[in-house]
Amino acid sequence: MGTTIDSLLLGFSVAFQPDVLLYAFLGCLVGTLVGVLPGVGPLAGISILLPVTFGLDATKAIIMLAGIYYGSQYGGSTTSILMRIPGEASSVMTCLDGFAMARKGRAGAALAIAAVGSFVAGTFGIVMLTLLAPPLAAFALRFGPPEYTALLVLGLVFLAYMSSTSLIKTLLMACVGLLLGCVGIDVMSGQFRYAFDLKELADGVGIVPVAVGLFGLGEILSTPSRKVQGEVMQPKFSELMPTREEWRQSAMPIARGSVLGFLVGIVPGSAHIISSFMSYAIERRLSKNPEEFGHGAVAGVAGPESANNAASTGAFVPMLSLGLPTGPITAVLMAALMIHGVSPGPQLVTEHPKVFWGFIASMYVGNLMLLLLNLPLVGLFVSVLRIRYAYLYPIIIMFCIIGVYEVNHSLIDVWIMLIMGVVGYFLRKFDFDPAPLVLGLVIAPIFELSLRQSLVMSGGDYMIFAQRPFSAVLFAISALLLAMSMWSAFSKRKDWRVKLSEAEAGTEAPSQK
Amino acid sequence: MDRRIFVAGTAAAGAVLTAGTAFAQDAYPSRAITLINPFPPGGAADVVGRPLAAVLEPILKQPVVIDTKQGAAGAVGAQVAASAKPDGYTLLVHIVSLSGFAEVDRIYGRPVKFTNDDFIPIARLIADPMVLLVNDQVPYKTLKELVEAAKAKPDSLLFSSSGLHGALHLPMALFNKTADIKMKHLPTNGGGPALTALIGNNAQVLVSSFAAANAQIKAGKARPLASFGAKRDPSHPDVPTLKELGYDIEFYLWVGLFAPKGTPTEIVDRLRGEVKKAVVTEKFESAIKNLGQDVAYLDQADFKKFWDADAKRVEDAVRTIGKI
Repeated sequence: MGTTIDSLLLGFSVAFQPDVLLYAFLGCLVGTLVGVLPGVGPLAGISILLPVTFGLDATKAIIMLAGIYYGSQYGGSTTSILMRIPGEASSVMTCLDGFAMARKGRAGAALAIAAVGSFVAGTFGIVMLTLLAPPLAAFALRFGPPEYTALLVLGLVFLAYMSSTSLIKTLLMACVGLLLGCVGIDVMSGQFRYAFDLKELADGVGIVPVAVGLFGLGEILSTPSRKVQGEVMQPKFSELMPTREEWRQSAMPIARGSVLGFLVGIVPGSAHIISSFMSYAIERRLSKNPEEFGHGAVAGVAGPESANNAASTGAFVPMLSLGLPTGPITAVLMAALMIHGVSPGPQLVTEHPKVFWGFIASMYVGNLMLLLLNLPLVGLFVSVLRIRYAYLYPIIIMFCIIGVYEVNHSLIDVWIMLIMGVVGYFLRKFDFDPAPLVLGLVIAPIFELSLRQSLVMSGGDYMIFAQRPFSAVLFAISALLLAMSMWSAFSKRKDWRVKLSEAEAGTEAPSQK
Repeated sequence: MDRRIFVAGTAAAGAVLTAGTAFAQDAYPSRAITLINPFPPGGAADVVGRPLAAVLEPILKQPVVIDTKQGAAGAVGAQVAASAKPDGYTLLVHIVSLSGFAEVDRIYGRPVKFTNDDFIPIARLIADPMVLLVNDQVPYKTLKELVEAAKAKPDSLLFSSSGLHGALHLPMALFNKTADIKMKHLPTNGGGPALTALIGNNAQVLVSSFAAANAQIKAGKARPLASFGAKRDPSHPDVPTLKELGYDIEFYLWVGLFAPKGTPTEIVDRLRGEVKKAVVTEKFESAIKNLGQDVAYLDQADFKKFWDADAKRVEDAVRTIGKI
């Protein structure tokens, strides 16, 4: 413990050097921008700025590039809340309740809660990283394909809690998402599936173009057919901050989201997207008023936004303590370290203590910077809503197209987004919720890969899922959740979803305005 | 319009256009040059291409931009480069697996979109020999022990790779064929995840480049049993080569620079000359050194010879894997 504090002090002595602070700030600033722009993700942001760091030393380079990564998780919620366009794939869930809050004139509150939640979660993540990185890394390594499969099954079980529409509609959307996720090259046999001989579709349908199209473009396309109030929302300044009640409602979701996000984040793979879905589902399951979700529940913003931030910090655990790049973003960060002559590996702490601890310390500082950067920006961002739709929406569409193109530099992605925009329009008209579709698309390819990897490992024996302790536990939780919902189906007490279906059958759904 | 005027006008326009092209050729490069990187940022082509772009810029006095066109394990970027205008403003940085795409398409009965003939080699930049690794949780200390174990119980060991037909799968397939052993294949979605699978003992064997595995070798988490180079690696002198051990296999993770077929010879020659200057700059050498590698520059003629031999190895490996 004492050595940790000493090391951390060494880290802060590096992180507080004025030029290091400057680069941390630059990284956070760029990260916030990258997060705010729909489509342009942290991966694109980091790769664009990678050459800029060639002239810097390793510490400054990694501090700046990491700042882009975790900074983007802050900014990702902004467009989700204001315009229902996910700035990042991991901000999809925030579109649901964040935008609903904005509709009620609580955009400022939603933005502030997202920023504070991100700060708490980010800081929690770093504390855990500081204290527990080595044992956590060992845990992460035991998370092989069977465990990952089990985690994704749990994610699928949570699907039922995802949406504000009826269960049938939710599952229908999820199935479409899972089918879309099957597009692309078969990882085991190399066969093309549903790809129409387009090499661009070999890696499947991207999450970003689908999410931006379904949510953002779909929303924009459906606006002219709705009655738009002539006056655009003009929140008063005093209404920008959350009320005491809203703070109270978001406290526990932030705490739960932080822990859940961090645990999911250290698992190898692109788990940070799943963490926000899971957090949303858990908050809804635990909530006393699950029917509020989708119509502006504060917890629906606080939980997922905290979870994705904690997860982005958690992803550093295997990278820093084992030198293993477990996802595309950590791979770029590791490449950046290598270009500067620091080879990340199990000995990073002992060989380059200044780089390691300077980096950790800079994340404490960076998270504080991001909070100070984002809270004042709330007022500025909210005033975006004052712009008339006639001017605002074409600009947003332009940013959507640029952002989606930037992810893979692929025109096919832009077409996918445009098609999904039209699909999103009709889904909105018929009151289907696109969130389960996106989750299905996220889960399908990784679920398939890890399931088939597990079966390769066991020689086709499904018992491997029961033999490995972590996967057995996760499967048991899934089974328990399913049993619980069976119970409530048989018991007399009406589930909120049943009530919802009845309400839909009777009167108009409350979401339609 | 009178037909004669039309013809005259077209001819005049044609003359102007030709003159314009000729002028542009004199001044090559007169605008930014794009290097296509067909892999995700941070991949082998990216980490070599970026320092190269940085040192080429002052030599060519034009911006050299890296354009990431990732997808289908490098096939998307290669296809973009193959169909780009062959004017010297679009170049491709690609790796050993470039030679395999056409063969894979042939085996699966798909239309072949491009072959090696669609590219003019300009220079080889690095060539890192591959290394066969086992993790620290298996008892094998030598390649002989591993082969014996695999022979005793076929399909009991697992090897991970960056993906089907990827640069980490091909050499393993060649080795298994030459040593006449069977192991199960655990494909992942990248070099990082493949290494993670090895260290987490979800796979026991992995063929990787020295550069990617160095840190894990140093920490004792991964044990190198044999190198795929022609000679022992200078930084790992105690690791025997496969040739010493009686397996006639060589395999390198090399990175080369290519131009699309049809690029004028003057431009290719100009680029060859400038790249030759660029690779000996201290900036480029130190950047490659930092990656744990050495510049292994080959000019067009030697690179072509190497590439042809290498393509045979790759195609052989692809055929060995066959249609699954």
